[in-house]
Amino acid sequence: MLDKIIEIKDMQKSYHRKMILDIDYLNFREGGIYSLVGPNGSGKTTLLNILNLLLKPDRGKIFYFNQEVNWALPDKLLELRRQMTLVEQIPYLFNTTVWNNLAFGLRIRKVSPQVRQERINRVLNLVGLSDFQHRKVNQLSGGEIKRVAIARALVLEPKILFLDEPTASIDQRYIDITEKIIKRINQQLKTTVLITTHDLSQAYRLSQEVISLVGGKIVREVPENIFRGEIIEDYKGKWLEIDKKVKFALVTEKEGFAHIYIDPRDIILSLKPFQSSARNTFFGKIVKITEQNHLVKLEVDIGVLMVTVITRESFQDMQLNLGSKIYLTFKASAVKLY
Amino acid sequence: MNFILEGLQRALHLIFTFDREVWVIVLLSLKVSMTAIVFASALAIPVGFWLAIQEFWGKHFIIAVINTLLALPTVVVGLLIYSLISRRGPLGILGLLFTPWAMIIGQFVLAVPIIIALTYSAVQGIDKRVRNTALTLGANNYQTALTMIKEARYAVFAAVVTGFGRVIAEVGAAMILGGNIKGSTRIMTTAIALETSKGEFGFALALGLILLLVAFGVNILLHYFQSKKVYIE
Repeated sequence: MLDKIIEIKDMQKSYHRKMILDIDYLNFREGGIYSLVGPNGSGKTTLLNILNLLLKPDRGKIFYFNQEVNWALPDKLLELRRQMTLVEQIPYLFNTTVWNNLAFGLRIRKVSPQVRQERINRVLNLVGLSDFQHRKVNQLSGGEIKRVAIARALVLEPKILFLDEPTASIDQRYIDITEKIIKRINQQLKTTVLITTHDLSQAYRLSQEVISLVGGKIVREVPENIFRGEIIEDYKGKWLEIDKKVKFALVTEKEGFAHIYIDPRDIILSLKPFQSSARNTFFGKIVKITEQNHLVKLEVDIGVLMVTVITRESFQDMQLNLGSKIYLTFKASAVKLY
Repeated sequence: MNFILEGLQRALHLIFTFDREVWVIVLLSLKVSMTAIVFASALAIPVGFWLAIQEFWGKHFIIAVINTLLALPTVVVGLLIYSLISRRGPLGILGLLFTPWAMIIGQFVLAVPIIIALTYSAVQGIDKRVRNTALTLGANNYQTALTMIKEARYAVFAAVVTGFGRVIAEVGAAMILGGNIKGSTRIMTTAIALETSKGEFGFALALGLILLLVAFGVNILLHYFQSKKVYIE
C-alpha cells in the first residue's frame, strides 16, 4: 500500500451555524487520482479550501505526510502549502502576461530564471498555449484562462494538485486533453490529484476512487453503474439511450441528458432468458470477477460495462467463469436518476 | 478688458522666455508637493491596505473619520500645524516654521486621508480571488499583500495622483506655514495670491497657466490609470 499523503479525522466546518462539512475519516494515498463528486452546495469547494490550508476547520485534525497540521505555526503551514496547489473553478489570473502568471509561483520558490523558462515552455506546450507566453490575460477566452490556470499550477510540480471542476466551461477537445494531462502528470511526477467534477463518467474515467459528498458528509457507497445518456420516448415508453446499441427502460418525467445509476444488487443474473415483468434484459460476457467477503462482484460487458453483485453461493451454483455468457435482468424502476 | 490681454501677453512671455523667478517658484512647488506625496504615500498606502483587509471593532468609525478628513479645510490644517511648530509650540525648537519643510508637513497631512481613503477603496475593489490565488501559489503573507497591491496598482496610482492634485493646488496651509518668502517658500499658489494683490497680473497669470497645465497633466495620468483598471472574469 502506498503512504497516506493526507488524512482527515473528525473534521467539522460550519458557516452561520449551518454544518457545511462533517467528515469522520478520509484519506488520500500518495500518487492516487481521486474524484470528489456531489451536488452543488455539498461542501466540495469548502473541503478543497481546507485541504489547501486556506480555511481552518472548526474542529478535527488533518495530517499531511503523517504529520498533524498545526494551525498556530504559519511557517509550517506555508511550507506545506508550497507542496500543493489549487486551481479554482473560476480561476483568477493576475492582470499581466501569461508568462508572469506562470512565473509567479516559481519566483516565490526561488527557482532559477533558466529552469523557470524551461518549465514554463514545457507546460505551455502541454496545455497547447505555446504561443501565448507574452499575451496579456485580458485578451484570453474563458477556456484559455482555465488552461493557463492549470499550466500555472502544473509548472510548480506540486506533490498534491487540487482541481475544482477542471473541465467545466472548456471545449470538449480540451476536456480530453486536460484529462490526458492529469493522467500524465500523475504517472510521470507521481502527483496526487484530487478533482471535483459534476461529470460522473469523468470521475470514473480518471480516478481510482470516487468520493461522494452529500450535505457535507462522505457517502460511503458510491453508486456503481453510473451512465450518462439521453432520455428518449417511443410508443413503448421512456428510455435512456447510452449509445446506439444500449438503452435502458426507465421511469422518469425528466427529459434530455441525464445521469442514472443502477444498484448492482437490483440486477438478476440468469443463464437463460426468462419471462418476467422486468423491462430490461441484456446478454453479455463476464470480463472481471472480484470477491468481496461473501459476495462476488462481476463486471459484465453488454456493450457497456455493468457491475453486478451476487452471493458466493449463487456464483458457485451457476458455475460462472471469466468469459461466461449470461443474461442480466432488471426493472425499469431500478434505473435511478443520479 | 485690455489689462487681461496685456496680462496674458506678459504671462506667455514669462513662460516662454523661461523667466528665472517663475521657474524657481514652479520647481519649488513641485519639489514640496512631491516630497509631501512620497511621505504621505509611504504611510497611507499600507494603512489603506490594512484597513481594507482587516476586520476589527470600530473600523467603520475610522473610515467615517477619514472620509470626513477628505474635506479638511487647508487653512485649518495650516492653523493646527502652525500651533505645533511655531516658536511657542511643542515642536518650536525644531525651527520648522516658514521653511519648505513646514509646507511639506502641511501638505502631507492633507494628502494622507485622501490616499488612505482611495487605497482602501482600491483594495476593496480588487477581485476577492486574488488573495487565495496568491496563497495557493505559495505566497507568504507579505508576498500576498504585495500581490494584492500590485493587482490594485492602477487604482493606487490614481490615489497618489489625486493626492498630488490636491496638494499642488492648495494655498491656505502653504501660506500660513511657509509664509510666502521669496526664493525660499514662495510656491505657485501663494505667489499667485500675492502677485494678484500687488497688481502683477501677468506674473500671476503665468503661474496660473502653469498650475493649470500641471492639473491637466495630473488628470491625463488619472484618466490613464482609470482606463487601465481591467476586470478579468
